Amino acid sequence: MKKLLIITAFGLSFAFAGNVAPADNAQYQKECASCHFGYQPALLNKTSWEKVMGNLSDHFGTDASLGKVESEQILNYLLTNAGSGKITANNSTMQITKSPYFIKEHRKIPAKLIEQKEVSSLANCLACHTTADKGNYSERAIVIPNYGRWE
Amino acid sequence: MKKIVCFILLAFTLLNAKEFNAPMKTYMESLSVEAKAQNPNFTGFDAKRGEAIFVSKQAGKKGTQMSCTTCHTTNLKNGGQNVNTNKPITALAPSANSTRLTDVAEVEKWLRRNFNDVFAREGSALEKGDVLTYIINQ
Repeated sequence: MKKLLIITAFGLSFAFAGNVAPADNAQYQKECASCHFGYQPALLNKTSWEKVMGNLSDHFGTDASLGKVESEQILNYLLTNAGSGKITANNSTMQITKSPYFIKEHRKIPAKLIEQKEVSSLANCLACHTTADKGNYSERAIVIPNYGRWE
Repeated sequence: MKKIVCFILLAFTLLNAKEFNAPMKTYMESLSVEAKAQNPNFTGFDAKRGEAIFVSKQAGKKGTQMSCTTCHTTNLKNGGQNVNTNKPITALAPSANSTRLTDVAEVEKWLRRNFNDVFAREGSALEKGDVLTYIINQ
C-alpha cells in the first residue's frame, strides 16, 4: 500500500497539477489585463512571448501598442517567467489555445458550452476556471456556465 | 447679502466646471497649437464635433462596422465592454470616474490605439482635441 502511494505521488508530481505562478506583475496587469484576462507567463514559452511582444500594434487585430520602455519591461517579465515543459510543448505560436496539451485538456467540452455568450471563446479562462486569476486551473475549481462542475 | 449669493454661485460654478488638470491642460494646449498650424482658421475645440467623431460608424478592421460606442456605449457615465474579449471597461465620463483624462500618457496611448482600431489611422490634433472636449463634459 505504502509503495502504491509513493508511486502515485511520484506520478502526480510529474503531471501539470493545474497550477502556474500568478501574473503578479503590476505593469503587466495594467497594460495587458486591462483588455483581456491576464494570462500567466508560464502558459507560453519564450519564443511565443517574443512573437506576441514583437507585434503589439496588430495584436490579434487590435492596436495594443506600448511605449518602448514599457514594452521592454513587460517582455523582460514574460521571458523571465515564461513556461516550459508540458503546457508549452510543441507550441511556439502566439496562442495558448494552440498548445497540444491545452487542446487535449479541452477536447471533451461541447462546442455549445464554449460558444455561449458567457464564455464565447476558449481564451476566456476565467469564465469556467473560477480561480484562473490566481493561476489555479485545477479541475475542482471548474464551473462551466449553464452546465456546472466539470469533474 | 447679494455679494454672498454671488460668491456662493461663483464657487458653485467653479466646482462644477469641467476642467482638465494642469498636465492635461498643457497637453490640450499642444494639440491646440498643432491644430492651428494645420488649419489657420482653427478657433478652438468643440464638444459637438467630438461627439460626432465618437458616434460615427467606421468600416472596422474585422469586417463589421464599429465606432467608439461599440465598446464605450453612448452613455459615457456607464461602463462598457471590450467587443473582442467581453472584459468590462470602466466609465469614460470624468463625472462618473474621476481617474479618466487625468494622465497624459494614458490618454495619448488610448487615443493612438483606439483611433487605429476604429478609424484605421491615428487621429489628427483637431480630432483628438474635439473628442477629449466631448468626454471631459460628460
